[in-house]
Amino acid sequence: MESLYLLIPIALLFCFIAIKLLLWAIDNGQYDDLDKEASRILMDEVPEASTKQSETTNPKSYSK
Amino acid sequence: MNAEEPLHCYHCGENVPADCFLSTVIDGDEQPMCCPGCKAVAELISGSGMESFYRLRTGFNEKPEPSESTSAYGIYDSSKNSADFAEQLEDGSWRARLLLGGISCAACTWLIETVLTRNAAISKASVNLAQQSLLVEWNPEELALSQIFAKVQALGYEPHPWQAHRGAALVQNEQRKSLRQLAVAGLAMMQVGMFGIALHAGDLQGMEDEYRGLLRSVSLIVATVVVFYSATSFFRNAWTNLKQGRLVMDLPVALAIGLAYGASAYATFSNQGQVYFDSVAMFTFFLLLGRFLERRVRHKELLRQTDLYTLLPASCQRQLADSWEICASREIVAGDILLVKSGSLVPADGVVTLGTASINEAAFTGEDLPRPVTPGASVTAGTLLVEGNLQLRASADAGNTRIAAMMRVLAQAEHAKPKLAQLADRVAAWFVSAVLLATAAVALYWWQQAGAEQALWVSLAVLVVSCPCALSLATPTALATATTRLREKGVLITTEDTLERINRCSQVIFDKTGTLTSGNFKRGEVEVYAGSMHESLAIAAALETHSNHPVAAAFADIDSRALPGNAMVDVQVTPGQGIRGSSAGVEYAIGGEAYCRQFLPSLQSGPAAPGHWIALCSRSETLAWIRLEDQLRPEASEVMQELRQRGLSLTILSGDPSSHVAQCAQATGITNYYAGCSPADKLAYIQQQQAQGHQVAMVGDGLNDAPVLAAADCAFAVNGATDLAKSRADAIFLTPDLNRLLYTMNIATRSRRTIIQNMGWALGYNGLALPLAAVGLVPPWAAAIGMSLSSLLVVTNSLRIKH
Repeated sequence: MESLYLLIPIALLFCFIAIKLLLWAIDNGQYDDLDKEASRILMDEVPEASTKQSETTNPKSYSK
Repeated sequence: MNAEEPLHCYHCGENVPADCFLSTVIDGDEQPMCCPGCKAVAELISGSGMESFYRLRTGFNEKPEPSESTSAYGIYDSSKNSADFAEQLEDGSWRARLLLGGISCAACTWLIETVLTRNAAISKASVNLAQQSLLVEWNPEELALSQIFAKVQALGYEPHPWQAHRGAALVQNEQRKSLRQLAVAGLAMMQVGMFGIALHAGDLQGMEDEYRGLLRSVSLIVATVVVFYSATSFFRNAWTNLKQGRLVMDLPVALAIGLAYGASAYATFSNQGQVYFDSVAMFTFFLLLGRFLERRVRHKELLRQTDLYTLLPASCQRQLADSWEICASREIVAGDILLVKSGSLVPADGVVTLGTASINEAAFTGEDLPRPVTPGASVTAGTLLVEGNLQLRASADAGNTRIAAMMRVLAQAEHAKPKLAQLADRVAAWFVSAVLLATAAVALYWWQQAGAEQALWVSLAVLVVSCPCALSLATPTALATATTRLREKGVLITTEDTLERINRCSQVIFDKTGTLTSGNFKRGEVEVYAGSMHESLAIAAALETHSNHPVAAAFADIDSRALPGNAMVDVQVTPGQGIRGSSAGVEYAIGGEAYCRQFLPSLQSGPAAPGHWIALCSRSETLAWIRLEDQLRPEASEVMQELRQRGLSLTILSGDPSSHVAQCAQATGITNYYAGCSPADKLAYIQQQQAQGHQVAMVGDGLNDAPVLAAADCAFAVNGATDLAKSRADAIFLTPDLNRLLYTMNIATRSRRTIIQNMGWALGYNGLALPLAAVGLVPPWAAAIGMSLSSLLVVTNSLRIKH
């Protein structure tokens, strides 16, 4: 049973890391929009390379 | 409703007009479209291979009605005008935040993101659905910011520049904070629960003191994080209210958490008694979760921003020495000469210097007919120019317009609104007192009978068993279910106590234009003086097609092919007065009495019946008088009848000074009505009623209703209301149907009944368990099971509102 003295701190460490990660993700804004993320899985990924067309719009430079 | 079901537009869901035959092929099927705007957007979407958008969306799109012409976005290409919402990143690309109007579901975000990122110049596009905002990063060498605006607009959404908004930022911070607390409570709950199972198993089959002490100490550490991080809001809320002498629901919650934690900590250090760390963590987690979910439904609408500048056009044309420049509306200063074109919003308060036009001020004044303006007349920022072009001299700076003044009235009205003490808090007040008194009595009794040690444990058992889990869940679960149910039925609840407020209202006040009526003109009676009705209407329709005055919409359903002659030629439109033209050699005129009498001096006078009558005549004779009316919503009379049966007194407060108000009142059976009220009059009336002790509900839609909506005890904004009205309402109807009001009232009554049932049960359970605990008969495990079962019962009862 002495192993508890090792295993419980390990469990706590994991829990601490999980909380840290979650808090980081929240502060990073990843949970700001819970509606969109829930249905993102249903949306088709549009393949980047094939559809990425350089549209021929007359480019204006962004005047500073 | 018609016997024949009308076609619905595949894009926006509105009825397709009878004479409209537009359609677009989507996913291989031809789908009906109601207007060229919807068709253009639908074709763009299907043409770029994004048809699956229509399968994925969960609601119809908003009808695209661009308020800005694409060229107007050009002002954002100068960094002076985009400094507030765009910034340069380190790698030279730019990042901007836009506010989007018309986003309804996740599919919209996908559509916008996908279409934008297909463009090689845009490196990142991310839409936030809750905030209705778009974050975009792009390379300015290849793409101008105005082109991004135009792309978004082409998809049928309305882009505005992002403006820092304190309310939205607060809501976002609050949401992040509750999520953080929830995350910590959830993960900690799992840990403590794990140790809790080991401890319970130890209680049953025996456990060495050493390991029991270890598990208890570790639980203590984790529970400490929960209590001092996640549960702080309960403690703070209870304390601030207690300082002001109020006992609120958070007080028993804070007491239960604090005492259970304190007792368990004492038990851990003294190595005796019972620990409740798992209950502490679980209770905190579920309470936070309930509050988080309920708040999330409500806050959706709050995040939308409505401030002054979203009500005004972003840009306008201003006169320089010898040319016109496009400038941002917020840069207008008094004295500027501005050009306003037909179909656009007036950017500033001012005096007309050139041109005649009609201005629709319905949103401000409630008047349903546009007002004709000529040089010298004054116009107000935010009103719509329906026909004609104008030059005007701005009479106030952008920040000093009438609309800005209205925003200030609004802020005051809002501030004055009293906060309603919630039923739960009133119950909490005597519940807390009762529990504390009972505990004190029990402690005193056991102290005298069995000493301090025993007294401490028994009184803790009393406090823990009377843990107000079920009581504190009673209200939020019922409200959350009712709010979700109403959302599904097309009513959005935006403030916490709306449902409770509705139950107390004894008066309902209605606005007329746009609320009781649909806001669109329909043809009433036609008095024919010469020729056939068929022919007269065909002539009228042929003339009116040349106008974009709202009256013209009343003739849109007429087939003008019955016109004598082939087509109307030589058409002249005098904005706000009338139209003349000729067909087959005969000259015709349609318009108000003065206009037609000028055309035909011998014009016969119109019928005496009240209403807006317009005349149709030729050079030689009067042809017809046509009555136009802004028709009542079809369900209005029925709904008013039902409301009266519930014992509510009804009033109409309208800004429209015409006799139409009296007609509407008569048709709906409302005896109390006031016409020609300014926003201040409306506010004064409602405050007078409130001073007499009445609780007042208000249903409205216009800008002029916003202060009244803010002041009313319970405010509803109907479908199609201005954003400003929506932002001040407690509930928003998402469908154009006054029956939603009845439905909301029904749900409010039911949720109140459910809350009372829940509280009855929770108090009954506590009343039963407390005496048992007081005599020392309740073991901790029985208290825990009882608590969970009683909470479960309350939640299940609340869910019944859904059916």
